[in-house]
Amino acid sequence: MEGTRLRSSERSIRVVLAKMGLDCHDRGAKAVAHFLRESGMEVIYTGLFQTVDQVINTTIQEDADVVGISCLSGEHLTFVPSLLERMKEQGLDDRLVLVGGAIPVEDVPFLKEKGVHGVFSGAVPVSRIAYFIRENLRR
Amino acid sequence: MDRDPYSDMAERFAQVSKRTTTWSGIPLRPSYISSDLLTLKEGEDFPPPGSFPYTRGIHPTMYRGKLWTQREVCGYGLPEDTNRRFRFLAEAGVTGLNVIVDVPTSFGIDPDHPKAEGEVGTAGANFTTVEDMEIIMKGVPLETVNMSLIIAAATSPVILAQYVAVAKRRGIDISRLRGTIQNDPIHTRYCGILLGVPLELGLKTNADIVEYCTGHMPHWYTMNVNLYDMREQGLTAAQEVAVGFSMAMMYIDNVLERGLSIDDFAPRIAFYCSGHIDFFEEICKLRAARKLWARIMRDRYGAKDPESQKFRFGVHTAGCSLVSHQPLNNIVRVAYEALAASLAGAQSIHCCSYDEPIALPTERAQKLAVRTQQVLAHETGVASVSDPLGGSFYVEWLTKALEEEIEREMGRIAEIGGMREAVRSGWLLQEIESALVERQRRIESGEEVVVGLNAFLDPEEETQTPLGVHRVHGPNCTDVQRRRLESIKSSRDTHAVRNSLQRLFLKARNGGWHVNLMPELIEAVDVRATLGEIMGTMRQAYGFEYDCFGMVQPPDIARFE
Repeated sequence: MEGTRLRSSERSIRVVLAKMGLDCHDRGAKAVAHFLRESGMEVIYTGLFQTVDQVINTTIQEDADVVGISCLSGEHLTFVPSLLERMKEQGLDDRLVLVGGAIPVEDVPFLKEKGVHGVFSGAVPVSRIAYFIRENLRR
Repeated sequence: MDRDPYSDMAERFAQVSKRTTTWSGIPLRPSYISSDLLTLKEGEDFPPPGSFPYTRGIHPTMYRGKLWTQREVCGYGLPEDTNRRFRFLAEAGVTGLNVIVDVPTSFGIDPDHPKAEGEVGTAGANFTTVEDMEIIMKGVPLETVNMSLIIAAATSPVILAQYVAVAKRRGIDISRLRGTIQNDPIHTRYCGILLGVPLELGLKTNADIVEYCTGHMPHWYTMNVNLYDMREQGLTAAQEVAVGFSMAMMYIDNVLERGLSIDDFAPRIAFYCSGHIDFFEEICKLRAARKLWARIMRDRYGAKDPESQKFRFGVHTAGCSLVSHQPLNNIVRVAYEALAASLAGAQSIHCCSYDEPIALPTERAQKLAVRTQQVLAHETGVASVSDPLGGSFYVEWLTKALEEEIEREMGRIAEIGGMREAVRSGWLLQEIESALVERQRRIESGEEVVVGLNAFLDPEEETQTPLGVHRVHGPNCTDVQRRRLESIKSSRDTHAVRNSLQRLFLKARNGGWHVNLMPELIEAVDVRATLGEIMGTMRQAYGFEYDCFGMVQPPDIARFE
């Protein structure tokens, strides 16, 4: 995928996984964090109530390759676009951005246009997400 | 690449049922026979419906006496939107109403709080002031309708106060009000709403509601202990009941400290259970729960009134069993889950709408959910006979197995020092996290087959949600509610607000944890004090910061030393 950066193959893939706003549905995010870790990635789960700035800071501090946002209350239409804008401003647009949760299929084109690389709606096997990450970071 | 659909058909023809345990992992044999019931005594374990311990139902004639209440969860957008949806549901034929609050309301913050940005109305209705309650309840006959207020957090008494204030403004005798308030503030800690709920404050507000309603609103269910949300986190069927009962016992113990006797308030405790996808396990879970609750009430609490011993419950079909892919399949899942709930003798059923894993339900999806209940209630014949599965070798055996499993789980909680300790020590959180990982592991491995998720996938990706998507514009609702709040603040009698908050503060600070604040809350909401101001005042009185996020300083009107 264009735009995603080159990674040195020595270190494991780093994922920042965040819940933004007041959305408290965190079961999915926790499950994804657990199984991405099991697949060998390093996952930083931020917990609930993150702001755009907090996610940006964590991404920089952790030098994350992947930013995953889990949205189940409509944040994908509010926080995610502002996050992507700020990421661009901060020169973080080479990171892989994934969105998961309760996302209507109708919103996928909008999110992709904003710069989201992968959308995983509903409960999917985490192996699918892990596969997507490895495929898209391998160049 | 075209795949020949017939190539493995012979294999598929010969496929077998691979599952040898229930969803929660109880091992099952291929069949059950009469000798499996040898240890059971009909009189003790499954006497006729309406007899202690009520395994087979709390009423002798069950649905011939009264059908289950048919409700759908409702609440979104501006107060007017929720009010319109009420009317829509009433026209569709629901038999009770139900409103769920949005997240800012659960936290007890007003729309002008920085954390409320974009969040107003996105996941429920916003109840900032009594004016919101007025709009939401406009045209709803509070004196006759059965209303369920889905507000579990420590903010529950404020929302109940708004409801009572609106009834009083209409001249309704509040002793006639019928309905339920969820009022289960501790469980919300496991649904993220940690900050809003210091443990002691949650217990305090829970007891205030129980005590107040016991005295003034005899037909009102004072708590609806939420087993459902705990189950949605990934717990097993037995854990759902064990955690829910331990939670309820913590509340009851706390209310008893106020000097009420158990039979004063126990008849008005209800439970909100999950209706998950394993058909027989769910039915037997609820039968076992009835039996255990009756014994807990009689033996542990010495309840004499049979009404205190009856486990009354609503079932909400399991949102987490639904799949966002091939979403129409969810209609089928919901129908099976609701069928199980009716066979288990539920007092009330909420059917999920098929589009809930995607967004809040559309009108059409919600109407389908109502129709699902109506077909069940009126066409299938399941409502004609009480506990139609009673006496089945398998059902009675599995009920016993679940009873033992629930007791074992309750024993584990008691061992670590009861629910307070389970909460305080983080034990419960750990249980939840290991349960959710375990379920996901079964999905990853394919051990648990979920149609459309890890099996029977459609090659074509859907590009549209079948009946459309319900859009709630959070930023818009936030703006409108902020403007309304501003205008309320500039037009209300600030002296009256200040005085009412001061009375609330002083009574709370001087009276301690056991003083009942409901009268002061009703007074404060009536003069249009906001949810945020009221919660902040209570928080200050009990030594907490005004704002649960620590971001907002108390305004002059609600600043107390």
